[in-house]
Amino acid sequence: MKQILLITDGCSNVGLSPIVAAAHANSEGISVNVVGVLDHGDVGELGASEIEEIARAGGGLSRMVNMRQLSQTVQMMTRKTVVQTIQIAVQKELKQVLGNGSIEALPPDKRAEVVRVIDELGETSGLQVALIIDASASMKPKLAAVEEAIRDLMLSLQARQGKSEISVFHFPGSRNGDDCVMDLNWTDHLNGVQAIFPKLQMGGTTPTGPAIMHVIDFYRQGVYGRQSRDETDGMMSGYVV
Amino acid sequence: MATSFKIDLRRGMVVTGKWKQGRYRIEKLLGEGANGKVYLVQRDRNWFALKVGSDAVDLQSEINVLQSIAKQKKQGQETFLFDVDDLYGPDGKEYPFYIMRYVLGTTLADYLKQQGAEWFPLVGLNLLGKLAKLHHAGWVFGDLKVENVLVADYGHVELVDYGGVTAVGKGIRQFTEIYDRGYWNGGSRSADAKYDLFSFGVLCIQLHEPKRLHGLTTELLPQNRSVEELMQVAESSQGLRPIAGWLRKAFGGEFHDAGDASAAWRLLMHRSDTHRTSGIPGWLKGLVAVSAVLLGTSVYWLVRNML
Repeated sequence: MKQILLITDGCSNVGLSPIVAAAHANSEGISVNVVGVLDHGDVGELGASEIEEIARAGGGLSRMVNMRQLSQTVQMMTRKTVVQTIQIAVQKELKQVLGNGSIEALPPDKRAEVVRVIDELGETSGLQVALIIDASASMKPKLAAVEEAIRDLMLSLQARQGKSEISVFHFPGSRNGDDCVMDLNWTDHLNGVQAIFPKLQMGGTTPTGPAIMHVIDFYRQGVYGRQSRDETDGMMSGYVV
Repeated sequence: MATSFKIDLRRGMVVTGKWKQGRYRIEKLLGEGANGKVYLVQRDRNWFALKVGSDAVDLQSEINVLQSIAKQKKQGQETFLFDVDDLYGPDGKEYPFYIMRYVLGTTLADYLKQQGAEWFPLVGLNLLGKLAKLHHAGWVFGDLKVENVLVADYGHVELVDYGGVTAVGKGIRQFTEIYDRGYWNGGSRSADAKYDLFSFGVLCIQLHEPKRLHGLTTELLPQNRSVEELMQVAESSQGLRPIAGWLRKAFGGEFHDAGDASAAWRLLMHRSDTHRTSGIPGWLKGLVAVSAVLLGTSVYWLVRNML
């Protein structure tokens, strides 16, 4: 299962629409969740509706939170999306078997069986979450809370039985022309990672859409890279050493 | 996620199960959990608690756990889960619900406030006993906190809100930050008996030093949250000092399970200083001291005479 989790506090202002980008992700089988981080005020009506729409286009969830709730929200959203992804897959199967798409329509005892399967798959299947962090100037005071939320998410994922990995990106990049920069490649632990965002230079623009596209690309490469690596490991391990 | 949960059942309404046609009269709202609302209801002049959820999968997942626990119950134990069905809300939508035994009681914090802190050691022991039963059957409660413990007369304890109950070895399904082992950098979020005992330790601190515990959560940087910080509160608190050694073991994962932990707790209870207000009057203590001195003198005298 693949997820993108976007943490932002406002509106995108350059490049491709993030809603289009999120729809792309969804068609690649990647669910997009969005957390809008509020300070004392709010993200504005425009920001709020964009956040909601990105998640809708990306087949994920969206939520507005203040910094204190960030860790718990990120953790719950990820978990909930895992269940949802599996639920959608199971519902497809149900449609073929029962001619009935919804779990709610099943009588309680049958529902119990289906939910047992969903829970089991949700706990044991592999999961990758790519976090995309908005590092525009207004996010600067919130990055400590974001980092805490990432560490907390890692802790929850480590408790799963299935293989779980995260990667971290931020946007915009510090140099001109970089939409998005990787801070952390796929990993299943954060031991020894002192700071996820060392010395960030906060940029002015907010290229949310291009950043999402960048990460979709990264996912794609990851799949190809891994497959070929697996083959080498299996078939030509003698050459590797 | 309990985001847009709007169902509101009012007093006097009668809800009817869609599948089994059980009829329940709503009396009042008892509480709100992460997955839904709990109401006091009546059926055939019996009282029950009805939990209604917004998400069929979430609630069913909780029901599955309750049913597994029910299957493991030995004969003679009270039934907990009575009915599982769907109801039509006032908005015409279907909502899943289940019916459980109604537990008459007050929350832990209120009970100790009303009845006195001297009940704390016994209530703690009873709570550990409840946890021990769950652990023995292969489950971890998960979301142990003051709000999820009801106390009835004479310190009888009931756990409520089974939304966090997790099979040993899986990821804890639902937790509350300040009671969470991971939050205090005290270990993983995998379900094991020690996870509940950690939460139990935080619960003890929450009962005796709620302000200082809250202070820690706002003052400390995430990387500085530690068992040591919790222990500092415990060791400098009059009410907690007698159990500080026990707490250190609970936070350090040194008890194998709640059975082990309750045996150690029971030993503490029979030490007089565990009870905050010592029941022994001063003159009695004096008498004991005097007789000890007399005994010492006579032994000395005896020994001297024998030599």
